[in-house]
Amino acid sequence: MTIAETSLATANPVASRKTRRPDWIGGLLAVLLGIVVVVPLIVVAIWAFAEVWRYPSLLPQEWGLRFWTATLSRPDVWTAMSLSIRLSLVVTALSALICLPAAYAFARMDFPAKNVLFLSFLASHAFPKFGLLVAIAGIFLNLGLISTFWGVVLIQLVGTLMMMIWIPVAAFQNVDRAMEEAARDAGAGPIRVFWSVSLPQAAPTIFAAVLLSFVGTFYETEGAWLIGAPEIRTMPVLMITYINNQIVVQYGAVLSVLLWIPSFVALMFTRRLVGSSSFAKGFGV
Amino acid sequence: MTDLSSTGPVRTGGTARRNGRGLTGLLLVSVPVALLGWLIIYPIFNAIGRTILRTDGTGPGFSLDTYVRFFSDGYSLANLWLTLWVTAVCAALLLAICLPLSLYLRFAKSRVAAVVQGLSLFPMFVPSVILAYALIRTIGPNGGVDLVLNALGLPKINSPYLTPWGPIIGLVWDNIPLTTLMLVAGLGAVSDNAVEAARDAGARPWAVLRHIILPQIGNAVLVVLSFTVLSIFSAFTLPYVLGPASPEMMGPFMQRTFGQVMDTRMAVTQAVITFAICAVFGAFYVRSIARNRKNGR
Amino acid sequence: MAQLTLKNLGKSFDGTDVIADLSLDVADGELVCLLGPSGSGKSTVLRMVGGFETPERGAILIDGEDVTEVPPEKRPTGMVFQSHALWSHMTVADNVAFGLKLRRLPKAEIRRKVTEALDLVGLGDFGNRRVWQLSGGQQQRVAIARALVLEPKILLLDEPFASLDQHLRERLREELRDIQRRLGITTLFVTHGQDEALALADRIVVLRGGEIEQAASPDRMYRAPETRFVAGFIGSMNFLACDMRGGRADHPLFPVAAVVPDGPVELAIRPEALTVSPGRSAGMSARVHRKTDYGTHLLLDIVLEDGARVKAMCPPSGAFEAGQEVRLTASQVALFRDEVKLAEVRTEAREVAHV
Repeated sequence: MTIAETSLATANPVASRKTRRPDWIGGLLAVLLGIVVVVPLIVVAIWAFAEVWRYPSLLPQEWGLRFWTATLSRPDVWTAMSLSIRLSLVVTALSALICLPAAYAFARMDFPAKNVLFLSFLASHAFPKFGLLVAIAGIFLNLGLISTFWGVVLIQLVGTLMMMIWIPVAAFQNVDRAMEEAARDAGAGPIRVFWSVSLPQAAPTIFAAVLLSFVGTFYETEGAWLIGAPEIRTMPVLMITYINNQIVVQYGAVLSVLLWIPSFVALMFTRRLVGSSSFAKGFGV
Repeated sequence: MTDLSSTGPVRTGGTARRNGRGLTGLLLVSVPVALLGWLIIYPIFNAIGRTILRTDGTGPGFSLDTYVRFFSDGYSLANLWLTLWVTAVCAALLLAICLPLSLYLRFAKSRVAAVVQGLSLFPMFVPSVILAYALIRTIGPNGGVDLVLNALGLPKINSPYLTPWGPIIGLVWDNIPLTTLMLVAGLGAVSDNAVEAARDAGARPWAVLRHIILPQIGNAVLVVLSFTVLSIFSAFTLPYVLGPASPEMMGPFMQRTFGQVMDTRMAVTQAVITFAICAVFGAFYVRSIARNRKNGR
Repeated sequence: MAQLTLKNLGKSFDGTDVIADLSLDVADGELVCLLGPSGSGKSTVLRMVGGFETPERGAILIDGEDVTEVPPEKRPTGMVFQSHALWSHMTVADNVAFGLKLRRLPKAEIRRKVTEALDLVGLGDFGNRRVWQLSGGQQQRVAIARALVLEPKILLLDEPFASLDQHLRERLREELRDIQRRLGITTLFVTHGQDEALALADRIVVLRGGEIEQAASPDRMYRAPETRFVAGFIGSMNFLACDMRGGRADHPLFPVAAVVPDGPVELAIRPEALTVSPGRSAGMSARVHRKTDYGTHLLLDIVLEDGARVKAMCPPSGAFEAGQEVRLTASQVALFRDEVKLAEVRTEAREVAHV
């Protein structure tokens, strides 16, 4: 008891001196970033619950949920929403189906031209995206894929390839090879090893990648706009028309708040992955 | 028991099995690779091909007419210049903002650092459509900033909405997370010990930055710059919503040429021109990735 | 239970031979330690037996049955990995039960066998724990239970205790020895620690550059090393270069006599074979350079007049100081020329008579 007390007493001044020194730079950065990052979003949130907000009042004159009911009763919102969700689900499922086995192959197998092929996935960032989309649109025009569901699926599928390859590749590579060998040793064949050991071990990271792909597809605007117009109107595309036509300010605000929910979920689940250095490494640093 | 001398037949089973596995591996990656080939590699060559080959009238022939039209059209050139200018300004601003930020994040160990990291990653989770809308409501005419200034008795700001500064603010906001992340990863190459040794030798923070840190992250900074240029040069959503209508940036310009003017060949020509301008950065980017992967192994 | 035979194994990676031509028989119930420096190919041999590498030449037989081409999942071997390689997404019990479930055993039997296996390694109550809740030693015990529960004919261990601290390593080593004895399971154990090999093995196989340098019992390996490499690798050994002339070494301190052709030789003397006494040697002076007290014994670092260093062990009661001049006598000297042992000389009787 006494020993513990004395050791605490001696350890204390050192520890407290360290924690008490204020982190001025950090505080300043946090405040600046806070203003720049959070204020625009707060303004939108206020608009979503404002019924009357005339200049130059600092806050809305009347608050309420009237525009939520108004927005949610618009049929085009529901059509776009269900289309966006269907699109994102199909794209993410297809992407997982074709990319996860490929990622496993890149991580664990040996085959000709492996490095060149893997590099070409990472290098797909090396092209200006919208220029590429226009070039693809030129091809799709001849194929009759413009303004079709599957045309948009294809274009968005390409957009997910890179993330769905390299994050899972890193995840599979991080699985201890001895773990897989131990499973072989216990009598499991290669497919069983993949299913019972490699996949569950890599699952948290892969889940994050799948979630990021889903959210990324959900918000994908440029491909949907260029390839999908005018028939395929996803949520972001609808949002742009709302902004352009300036019909009712609150429609945009309500949609923004609604649209941000999936992103918030992604933020919760993937922050650790995104903050890790291995994530940034995928972009070539 | 069978006699197996060391000079007996060399077993080929191992290599044969490896070949078998090689085919399985190729098979597993074939679909994504095919997709990549069809929708990224092929379109680039197709775009170049279709803009320099004439298929009308008397069979195929070589023609640069769309390029001539682009470079002799004042409006197209103005769009190109605007895009180059916006890209340069964004890249400079991003470095100016993110380099200090990433330096702080790399070396700070306080609890505030976690908050700063969270805040700097946050924009990654705000879709650009929502961002565009939020910026209009905040810095647009009679937006949030104007409201606050007015309440304080100050004059309104000169709204950047629908000027080139609109997309600049939006693009910088949008690119802060990835730029910071990449710079922090680049700063990972600078070991704590290297910095401590320099401080031990009497270097002040500024000297440490100049002589120890910057030389080691030069390459990372260049990669980040290329990446930023590539993503900003052909940005669409933010310039389309926040930017000026005339001259416009290349993204909206291409979209309008394709969707409204319905001049596919001209739109693809514009795309090829953006490829050409970005090629230097793209090549540098690919080279850097290839080198990193080789070093990593 | 089972017998393991390796016949003329050969394996190369990227064109260089890792294993040149290796043959070894492991008897039923025997525990053989493969000992060697890193890069000696000991792990490759083990991995070939486990089926994780395919030898390019030769054959692996278990109970006379050729398993060279059999994939790991069909081999009657159980492996314990250095990194324990437990599946962290399963509980301890699920880890042990995995192989049994693959064999579609009835649930009750799986439960019984898992409990037995965990009891065997002293972790009977830990079945429901997650892997990361265990200490390093407990994790390695689970790995052993996981390998044993499938009742393999051959147990393979790849430096299983390398990542544990000294104290724990010694305890687990003893536990493993007990379990192995009780089950009578044929075992191949890879290690780079000679103390581990000496403590565990029925027989030690020293590998060097992919070839067997010597295979012998721990006792023989220490007391009668057959090559200079083994002599230097196991325990500590003093080597003194000199020439043989007319059946006598020309080293002034140790003029041992042996029937050996003339030419350069190295005298190999264990520190404990040296007797140190105060005084002056006849042929050459020797001084204590440093004294280290290990409690159980003193280790003297002695400089000879020609600059050579020797280490000598003496009882803790010995009163020696740095700088002091001493006399050295050796009770046992081995002579090596070009890696090969030429002769072994016991000089005890002569020296005793001399004193």
